[in-house]
Amino acid sequence: MRWCLSLLLFGFLAVVHALSSSGSRLLVVLEDADEKDAYSTFWGDLEARGYNLAFESPKSDKLSLFELGERAYDHVLLLPPRSKGFGPSLSPKNLIEFMNKDGNVLLALSGKSTTPSAISSLLLELDLHLSTDRSSIIVDHFNYDTLSADEKHDVLLLQRPGPLRPDTKAFFGGEGVLAFPRTAPHTLGDSNPLLAPILRAPATAYSYNPKEDAGSAEDVVASGSQLALVSAMQARNSARFTLLGSVESLQDKWFSATVKAPGDGKESETANREFAKQLTAWTFKETGVLKVGKIEHHLANDGELNPKIYRIKNETVFSIEISEYSYGKYVPFEVPENDALQLEFTMLSPFHRLDLQPSSKTENSTIYSTQFTVPDQHGIFSFRVNYKRPFLTNIEEKHEVTVRHYAHNEYPRSWKISGGWVWIAGLWSVIGGFLAFVIVWLYSAPTSTASTTKKTQ
Amino acid sequence: MPAKRTAAATAAPTVTKSLSSGPKTLTANSSVSDIIHHVWQQYLSTTPQRTMLLDVFMAFLVLVGGIQFVYCVVAGNYPFNAFLSGFCAAVGQFVLTASLRMQTSSPAPKSGKTSSSGKDGKSSGEEGISHERAFADYIFGSLILHFFCINFIN
Repeated sequence: MRWCLSLLLFGFLAVVHALSSSGSRLLVVLEDADEKDAYSTFWGDLEARGYNLAFESPKSDKLSLFELGERAYDHVLLLPPRSKGFGPSLSPKNLIEFMNKDGNVLLALSGKSTTPSAISSLLLELDLHLSTDRSSIIVDHFNYDTLSADEKHDVLLLQRPGPLRPDTKAFFGGEGVLAFPRTAPHTLGDSNPLLAPILRAPATAYSYNPKEDAGSAEDVVASGSQLALVSAMQARNSARFTLLGSVESLQDKWFSATVKAPGDGKESETANREFAKQLTAWTFKETGVLKVGKIEHHLANDGELNPKIYRIKNETVFSIEISEYSYGKYVPFEVPENDALQLEFTMLSPFHRLDLQPSSKTENSTIYSTQFTVPDQHGIFSFRVNYKRPFLTNIEEKHEVTVRHYAHNEYPRSWKISGGWVWIAGLWSVIGGFLAFVIVWLYSAPTSTASTTKKTQ
Repeated sequence: MPAKRTAAATAAPTVTKSLSSGPKTLTANSSVSDIIHHVWQQYLSTTPQRTMLLDVFMAFLVLVGGIQFVYCVVAGNYPFNAFLSGFCAAVGQFVLTASLRMQTSSPAPKSGKTSSSGKDGKSSGEEGISHERAFADYIFGSLILHFFCINFIN
């Protein structure tokens, strides 16, 4: 009965939590209620994936990210405000605090209006830099949409991004072309290693302020692939922040637009809808979330599981179970091709740093394991798995064990070492010689005393 | 080492004896081999049997110790404790035997001939240790040495 009840409860929770691994409460900050209709497909997609959307105006009094010190929402989606900023409840400090409590933020900008300085200062805190006038848009005379922006060249057509590096997974890849109308570009600082660009501008793009006259193109701040259209930051607690340069790309109009590249390109549908799904899925922790299952270590020739103590030079096996959350279910985690999941056996510094190899697979997890010899050094060691990669949540596991030296009776006996036989023979021949000497000495006593007495006499 | 020691120990009495008794005197011009032969003959004829036995045992210890040391140089010192205990057993036994020889090779103290006077502590302390007492000490010391060496060689 109780079983049934808990099962029912579990099913209920599963429905509530839906696709995201960290909750379904999504706050959408939207200034104009009229604008809401322009994104109806986008909202529909999010709701279909199980999110409970709460639309709030930034000016609303009851809007608060926190309730009784806890997060009131799991995720926040910020659309660009018309006015000077988001207001007191969405100050940069509050948003950072929200992320410190594991909340995820998706911030969309627009090139149509000047970005408020409050947002700019929030981005500066994350080492994302907007252009100084905060109203530039990105322009490219080679990759624009000829159908909608034949004159202004401000609707960029881009391929879907591949993997960031050869050793990362492509969470945003796929077929099709993306349209980014009137994008506010940003550049990535180099003092925040947690930043990762998702989509960079093509080499021929540059930043341009439409409010100034044409001459401004001569002194551009950044150009080409220095400019990023979409970037992500994953904090140390794995909270995610995504900056999207063009909020218009989420509109219904661009989800199903037909675009045509300059030259003799043919007309094609945009893949914006698919990309928006990937982007929100990643930001709201539907993809790229790693979970550690069982961690086991033991002696190679069987023995107790996860013992507290090892001896130096023991042959040891370590295994860790890792699953990856991907659109509503856990699947076996596979390390990208050029990457390695590593185990460190450390005391202050690693004595071993070994690649973990997949040894077996269950329905929704992969078990990685390795075997090694405990170093010839006793002390307090720890098994550490420290796996931090862009777009994947951080794994940091640390399990302490004691490594003792040989006990007195664990050394091999002397005769087991053939190199020492000569010395053993030497010792025993000394003892044997001593015994023989003593016997001969005792037997020779009477004559010797006799002879000495004779001589003295 | 023992050869030198025996030569030195026997040389002094040899010379005085040969000087007193006529036939075996060496001339100043005699060859090296003659001298060696003469010394050897003197040693054989004048050394008491027990002292010779001691010398033989010491020569044996030098041989055993030398072999062990050469093996260590040639083959490496891997079970180092085995080398230490094997080699130290030979050296230590040699030292103990040399002490026994020092205490017994000199003419025994007159009181030492009878066991009753040997037990007399004061008299033996003045005139040297009796042979029996020296031998007992030697056995005691050797047993301790062997115990340590066997223990250390594991």
